[in-house]
Amino acid sequence: MYTQLRANLGLAAKTGDRGKRTPWRVSRNVVNLGLTSLFTDISAEMVNTILPLYLVFYLRTSLVQVGLVDGLYQGVTALVSLGAGTLADRRGRYKEVALAGYGISAVGKLGLLAVGAMFAPLAGVVVADRVGKGIRTAPRDTLISLSTPPERLGSAFGVHRALDTAGALLGPLVAFGLLRLLPGRFDAIFVVSFCFAAVGVAVLVLFVEGRRSEAAREGLQASWRQALALLRRPRLMVLVAGSAILALATISDAFIYLLLQRRTGFNPGFLPLLYVATATSYLVLAIPLGRLADRVGRGRIVVAGYLLLALAYVALLTSAGGAGLFVACLLVLGAYYAATDGVMAALTSAATPVENRTTGLALHGTAVGLAQLGGSVFFGLLWTVAGADFAITVFLALLLVGIAGLSAGLARTASR
Amino acid sequence: MSRRTAAFVAVCGGLGLLAAGYVGWSVVQVRTAAPPSFPAGNGAGLARVLGVPHLVFLQPSGADPSQSTVAVAPLDNLQDRQLTGLTCARAYFAAGHGVCLGRTIEGGGFTFDASLRRQREFDQVGLSTRARVSPDGHKAATTVFVTGHGYADLTFSTQTLITDLRTGAQVDLEKFSVTRDGTRIQRSDFNFWGITFASQENRFYATLATGGQTYLIAGDTASRSARTLRENVECPSLSPDGTRIVYKQLLTNTGGRRWRLHMLDLRTGADSALAETRSVDDQVEWLDGGHVLYGLNDEGPPATLDVNLWELAVDGSAAPARFLAHAASPAVVRPA
Repeated sequence: MYTQLRANLGLAAKTGDRGKRTPWRVSRNVVNLGLTSLFTDISAEMVNTILPLYLVFYLRTSLVQVGLVDGLYQGVTALVSLGAGTLADRRGRYKEVALAGYGISAVGKLGLLAVGAMFAPLAGVVVADRVGKGIRTAPRDTLISLSTPPERLGSAFGVHRALDTAGALLGPLVAFGLLRLLPGRFDAIFVVSFCFAAVGVAVLVLFVEGRRSEAAREGLQASWRQALALLRRPRLMVLVAGSAILALATISDAFIYLLLQRRTGFNPGFLPLLYVATATSYLVLAIPLGRLADRVGRGRIVVAGYLLLALAYVALLTSAGGAGLFVACLLVLGAYYAATDGVMAALTSAATPVENRTTGLALHGTAVGLAQLGGSVFFGLLWTVAGADFAITVFLALLLVGIAGLSAGLARTASR
Repeated sequence: MSRRTAAFVAVCGGLGLLAAGYVGWSVVQVRTAAPPSFPAGNGAGLARVLGVPHLVFLQPSGADPSQSTVAVAPLDNLQDRQLTGLTCARAYFAAGHGVCLGRTIEGGGFTFDASLRRQREFDQVGLSTRARVSPDGHKAATTVFVTGHGYADLTFSTQTLITDLRTGAQVDLEKFSVTRDGTRIQRSDFNFWGITFASQENRFYATLATGGQTYLIAGDTASRSARTLRENVECPSLSPDGTRIVYKQLLTNTGGRRWRLHMLDLRTGADSALAETRSVDDQVEWLDGGHVLYGLNDEGPPATLDVNLWELAVDGSAAPARFLAHAASPAVVRPA
């Protein structure tokens, strides 16, 4: 506790330096990490967007195999992050570990160009890309937390997530723009995607300060035993378990969009616009909700976010099919992301001692990732066996249980 | 300018040059690429082929894998292929009417006439997969895969449209009422694909997937209704005499997705596996009353990205034989 306090105080003093602040009142380091994510996400979403087209048209694989690749994607991400997190804590080298993750994904874009038409190596490159994502997320969030005074964590993660989402919005636009200009030339998309990823890596290498925590500097290196001791931290465990239950109860966006389409019967050609609408709403709300979380309490905002998701489920169940409901559903979905994603990272950072922070964040990320995968399989199963309404009702019930559990747990483990 | 900023500007400049250079070079390549070799005196060549029993098919064009060229070849001399200026991802032709699905990589389609001239465009966003025209040339059916959004997703949804080729009016198969054993069923997870039209006006067969099961359905476009006939049948193709259906059956014990071609006799209900042991993911086309055609990826050796058409006797009297190389999406046309 003592080291954590000192570490945070030390950094707070540093970030108090006016010259280093940005218009959003977060440290320059956070903005630079956000820019790294922005460029990396442009690159990643360019490829994600066109990968099904590439597999089907160029490699002539069937769509079911595409689904298989996607499944590999998610499982791998969750597992590598724990190992990388512990490594980053042991050495106090957050920037280097994050760089390895960003670097693998960037090089992977050139790999796509090299493996060309073979399915197995292509799947390998796709998995490597996800491994990169698994490695970088927790050390990057640790750097954000170490560059920010504790009372501004919500704002800092809000700024980072807003920049990250901007990249995710731009990526598909760039990809489809290139596809229009150069029909069928996937190689050009891979090259441009690599260039964006490389710019992201350059920002990280040149402008991000790899803060070693005070703990690491004093040789108080994290041991495996300390990492295990994280499991005895009540507040962190509340966050991990609560988030896992809530992730299990989260219906994936793809299902929600599909449900909305079926309920309202709009032209399925507009489905990509739903993604744009949700992401825009997330982008716009991430910073204000992050700042609000710092003021009124992060737990409250996270709980409110999940209540919004519950509201969206109710809307899906009672859908009258109106356009208003439709737009509201997308705004609510974006607000839910803005209220939960970055704010949850802020809560988790604050609940983990500085010397094990990356491991704690990775533990949270892994639990959420695996639960999401399970939830999506479970929802698909319920939908096919018992119908959409039954599936939504079960998920709504689970979501409410999760919200009650998280909010009770957070209240009980509140530091003050 | 600090050294870091200078380094960043240099890196960005280099990467920008790389990206712009590669894109520019690709644009030049695409613009200067030779257009698909239009056969000399094509008007005469095309007219000659169109006057005799022939195959309308797609020839992969190479430069853009999502765009293949509509081609024709006489059935008695398949090597005499004539290319047209039409390109898309999936095509079919019957009774003087053609449909081309996948106008661009993002979807859409157009119809074409008996002299293979482009007619009306229509919108249908998604990955083009199946196209059919009714034997009377009155209706076209087109199926695309619709994804939730840009990502690769486990959740796929199909959209099948029936277009009235005389009026251009379109109806989505999801608007049809479906009955199973006499009871109406209605689920939000309905997916339809692979329509095959019967020779009787308005009658068709298709695939319906719901609750993790696929069904063969028999439908009527006039009453907008359909009923389920059998389970585990995908991409049916009705024989010219309307008595048999060749379809692909999912092999359940292989883990991955592999299909075997089967034939169902609609008079007796008898079902038999055909003599093709490779997995076929296609809606077959009947060459005549006893043979079907389908596309398979070129297995070489060495395997390439090309597609070839194969011919198979439905009575098991002969092993599958290569019918036509560098061809997909077949439609057999026998002018009256």
